[in-house]
Amino acid sequence: MNKTKNLLFLLTPFTLYITVFFLGPILILLTYSFLEPGLYGGVVWNFYHHNYGRILGWADGIIEEFNPVYFKIFLNSFKLALITVIITLVICYPTALWISRLKPKLKVFFLFLVTLPFFSSLVVRLFAWMILLKPSGLINEFLLNIRLIDEPLQMLFTETAVLIGLVYILVPFMFLPLYASIEKIDNSLIQASNDLGGNRLITFFKITLPLSFPGILGGSILVFIPSLGNFIVPDLLGGAKVMMIGNIIEQSFLTSRNWPFGACLAIILMIVVVTLLYFYVKILSKYEKII
Amino acid sequence: MSKFYQNMKKLFNFLKNKFLPFHVIIFFMFIYIPLLVVIFLSFNSNVINMMIWDGFTFDWYKSIFGFNTQLDEDAVYLESTDQLLNALKNSIIISTTTTIISTFIGTCLALAMVRYKFRFKAFYNALVYLPMIIPDIVLGISLLIYFVTVGVKLSIYSIIIGHCTFLCSYVFIVVSSRLAGMNDELEKASNDLGGNEIYTFRKITFPLIFPGIMGGALLSFIISMDDLVITYFIAGVDSTTLPVFIYGIMRRGIKPEINAIASLMIIFSLIVAALGIYYRSKKL
Repeated sequence: MNKTKNLLFLLTPFTLYITVFFLGPILILLTYSFLEPGLYGGVVWNFYHHNYGRILGWADGIIEEFNPVYFKIFLNSFKLALITVIITLVICYPTALWISRLKPKLKVFFLFLVTLPFFSSLVVRLFAWMILLKPSGLINEFLLNIRLIDEPLQMLFTETAVLIGLVYILVPFMFLPLYASIEKIDNSLIQASNDLGGNRLITFFKITLPLSFPGILGGSILVFIPSLGNFIVPDLLGGAKVMMIGNIIEQSFLTSRNWPFGACLAIILMIVVVTLLYFYVKILSKYEKII
Repeated sequence: MSKFYQNMKKLFNFLKNKFLPFHVIIFFMFIYIPLLVVIFLSFNSNVINMMIWDGFTFDWYKSIFGFNTQLDEDAVYLESTDQLLNALKNSIIISTTTTIISTFIGTCLALAMVRYKFRFKAFYNALVYLPMIIPDIVLGISLLIYFVTVGVKLSIYSIIIGHCTFLCSYVFIVVSSRLAGMNDELEKASNDLGGNEIYTFRKITFPLIFPGIMGGALLSFIISMDDLVITYFIAGVDSTTLPVFIYGIMRRGIKPEINAIASLMIIFSLIVAALGIYYRSKKL
């Protein structure tokens, strides 16, 4: 009896908090996505599915118009998030591999070195790239000085800049899961492969890579989800040229003040994310059964 | 021709043997150089072009704290340092309060999940990760709609509430990993020897998980201090935090004073990070 009381005491704060301040808001978001936008930024409490119609294509053209641009922006966000995943994977994997082969003391030190820059503020890290990439920025000054280029390149406010920014802020989310799974690989397997005549490439592709699959998968999902919904990076480094789904949501809330439409975009984004997570869990459990 | 071939072969061999160390050097340059550049430029006295070194100065630091400097009026971007200091004050109040609340809730949940068996455990396990993993922007706008609908005025209190929704999960993860890593034999022994549950918690469990709690608290302090997206949506007119304030200036243009603010923030976060890693690395 006493035990139940303790358990209740321990569970209640979280349960109350998450119900009132998390599940409540998500439910209201869902409700808003089915409401009619009012004239001056408010809402009319009517059931209204044309918000979804505007994005997915069944808007009738009388009240709301279907605009494929939202679909395109969704696709573009997917593309940018996917490229971010690939770049972070390519730059983190060799580093994680190298650190995992060090002596224990050095391992701890290098892990510390990898994570240290990412404790500094997000805005600070993006500001650093703004001053590196801008037309009179450090990279342009350098390239001009060594006479590689004659006039400053436009690097800020391009898709490349957005990609650099996303990669830069999300490196640890790829690195840590990757490192954790590479580190766990039993060294005797690698030695066995070497003894049996496998060269370094074969050992890597047949042993290390398959065994680090959970890390690759986990890192990819941890990088993909925040980059998909990001609006700070495209806003600061992409200017008005690069639009991601986050920017549209932000604008419909703070600029055009069409809250139901923004809520509807957010719900679609959330559905995409939860679906991805579902498949992630599925694939991972299947993988663990094989191993 | 053969010399070219030999050179290529040398290059190929170099890549084959030294690829990893070479890659690691590039990797660390990529993650460190941008921040070092910011710190370096914050001491540059060139008012017109911050990229051209023009001598060492502390003027930018002086100007953000409101001391008189010889700088031109145009170069100084902040109308008053009051705004900056006010944002900093808000940030500190918010982070401290959220840290206390989320550490309490997260630790309670961790104790319940690791030490007890109950029916809805799988459900709770999924629920606790959800606020962390859904995109920040979704959480931010749903809280905004919620506060407006319910009629809560946007202020530092709404920000505190917003931060705690996802910070509890971070604390939970840190504390529960600490709890899972230690066996419960000491607790059982204490119970067997007649210590009641409160006594056991105070004398055994709490001291053992204390490093975990401190680690979780520091993590939530850092994340709360740094949170931009969620705060951006639910901050009221006079409740801007430091990241939101700097984001606002950055949107309008790049000014040398931001270098100085940014450098101070980098130094501060490094200190907190070092503390956090120290606490987390403390052995059981």
